[in-house]
Amino acid sequence: MMNAHTARGRTARRRMETKDVVLIALFCAIIVVLGLVPPVDLGVAGVPITLQTLGVMLAGAVLGPVRGALACALVVLLTIAGLPVLAGGRGGFGVIPGPTGGYLLGWIPGAFVTGLLVTVLATRPRSRLARQAATAAACLVGGILVVYALGVPWTSVSTGLSLRQSTVTALYFLPGDAVKAVVAGLVAHNVRQAYPIERR
Amino acid sequence: MTPRLSLYVPGDTPLHRVPAAWKLAALLLSGVGMFLVTSPAVLGPCAGLAAGALLSVRTPPRQLARHLTGPFVVLALVVVAAVVFQSAATAATVGLRLAALLLAALAVTLTTRTSEILDVLERVLRPLERTRLVNAAAVGLAVSLALRFIPEAFHRFHEIREAQAARGLSGSPLALLVPLAVRMLKSAEDIAAAVDARCYPPPPAARRADAAPSPARSPAPAGRTDEEATG
Amino acid sequence: MRIVLESVTVRFGSRTVLHDIGLELSESRVGVIGPNGSGKSTLARLFNGLVLPGEGTVRVDGLDTSEDARAVRERVGFVFQNPDNQIVLPIVREDLAFGLKNTGVPRREIPERVERQLEHFGIAHLADRPSHALSGGEKQLVALASVLVMRPDLVVLDEPTTLLDLRNRNVIRAAVEALPQQAVVLTHDLDLLTGFDRVLVLDGGRVVHDGKPRTAVPWYVEHCS
Repeated sequence: MMNAHTARGRTARRRMETKDVVLIALFCAIIVVLGLVPPVDLGVAGVPITLQTLGVMLAGAVLGPVRGALACALVVLLTIAGLPVLAGGRGGFGVIPGPTGGYLLGWIPGAFVTGLLVTVLATRPRSRLARQAATAAACLVGGILVVYALGVPWTSVSTGLSLRQSTVTALYFLPGDAVKAVVAGLVAHNVRQAYPIERR
Repeated sequence: MTPRLSLYVPGDTPLHRVPAAWKLAALLLSGVGMFLVTSPAVLGPCAGLAAGALLSVRTPPRQLARHLTGPFVVLALVVVAAVVFQSAATAATVGLRLAALLLAALAVTLTTRTSEILDVLERVLRPLERTRLVNAAAVGLAVSLALRFIPEAFHRFHEIREAQAARGLSGSPLALLVPLAVRMLKSAEDIAAAVDARCYPPPPAARRADAAPSPARSPAPAGRTDEEATG
Repeated sequence: MRIVLESVTVRFGSRTVLHDIGLELSESRVGVIGPNGSGKSTLARLFNGLVLPGEGTVRVDGLDTSEDARAVRERVGFVFQNPDNQIVLPIVREDLAFGLKNTGVPRREIPERVERQLEHFGIAHLADRPSHALSGGEKQLVALASVLVMRPDLVVLDEPTTLLDLRNRNVIRAAVEALPQQAVVLTHDLDLLTGFDRVLVLDGGRVVHDGKPRTAVPWYVEHCS
């Protein structure tokens, strides 16, 4: 339907259409639901982890930088509005100044960078394996590096720990997040094959 | 089996009656303020005040305990870490500051309807609309759609999980997430069509004023009713 | 009101979904039948500008859907096949108000109109329910109500009974029959067409038969099954 719908009147700078708003809301719902469902054992040191941050990487990798970042911004908005949308039913304004507030806010640039890197790296290679690897790499950089870059200093400000110490805390979550990034890369790749959409 | 999607507890305490905008502004200001202060002598009374505010809400104790357990486990860890790695003074500052913020935020969250908070948000966004960076109607729609589709996504997730279990596949994230994301993407087209069919987006006039009578039925000036509908 | 299609062709990519269709619809009840993929849904979406013709024009009461899609949508209501995707807001009452807010109905009139529409369908008790928790039949009624509350002059219904069980099918059938508006109904449910003024049979993107239900339905059963 979309083809015919947009066939006419396409402007030079594509503006936000209803379908973009819908996609943003749907991926926000996916991120929230992945935090609500019971944690999954991904086989890392026997620590069950929630899939919520996987949803964050997925949003960037599937929807693209702008819409992916907006889907995460929407989750942040719902959190601030007092809805229990974070893993373990957390929510409310109090999350932001807390020790994990930076990670939450970091999702927004994290999804953006993930989306950007997927666009740059993962659309060119011919081989399936190379594209999967590139998508996973994008999730690693966007979903971990960028998110931690905001999360770690925030923890340090919020808790009075030194930067080095909050980095050590973050390292505890690194193995789980790394596995999630790889899974997110595979999922995003398969989703895009099953249902390709224009990335923005 | 669907998640309960609001922390609001109905009631008629003084804090329930304070307009949402004031509560949120106070929360924001005190949040910023408390990060500028390091003296436990100031932060202590702040935490006490926040605890008082929370108690004034008269939430059933069991419910309150449920809301507080998680945050306070984190708080305890933070305090212990601060004592071990820094000093008792830092631990007091950090602990009291976080406790005050958590308690005050919970008090606001418990006494303010989600719809009120979103109304405040829309009021804040509206002046920004002129910059053309923000579209308040789109933000409102996105929030509503997300609230509508969180239970739906939850339901679909469990459907897929059951279907996988029936075929003997045990919750591999790949087998769960690919179908979930694909189904959501597929429905996006239909949902967008349904939203468009009901005349979204509202014309700027409808967003601004309730006063003007609807010109809906008057014949539209040729070719210039709404560029967004076709663009 | 009159819907006029002049040599309308619709393509999605390289696939032609509708071939050079010319039609004029003004009857009170028009049915559209045809196999899956025959172009029914696309035809219906032309009537309110959700799909725009690649070639030719669609005029609703003289308004070109390519130019005045918004004005057309205020006159032509559209009920989708799957109410799960049509109910867009979390609470029933909010969902009914959605279209009214979009068309600039004054805010103080909205609650009353919503209330009256719900009462009209005997579902006032659902007003404050979360929309995801409704049964299939209730969802379809809410979807129909959320379109009718906007008081369109014509209602297009895309397979309104396909996803329903027998009892709910009867409820929706009765609701469709009782519509005071003009209606165009796409359906596989041939019983629904009894008493219709006109039935179009679509196949392969062309109107292959056009007549009264008494001739069109047997023609369809013979040629397309």
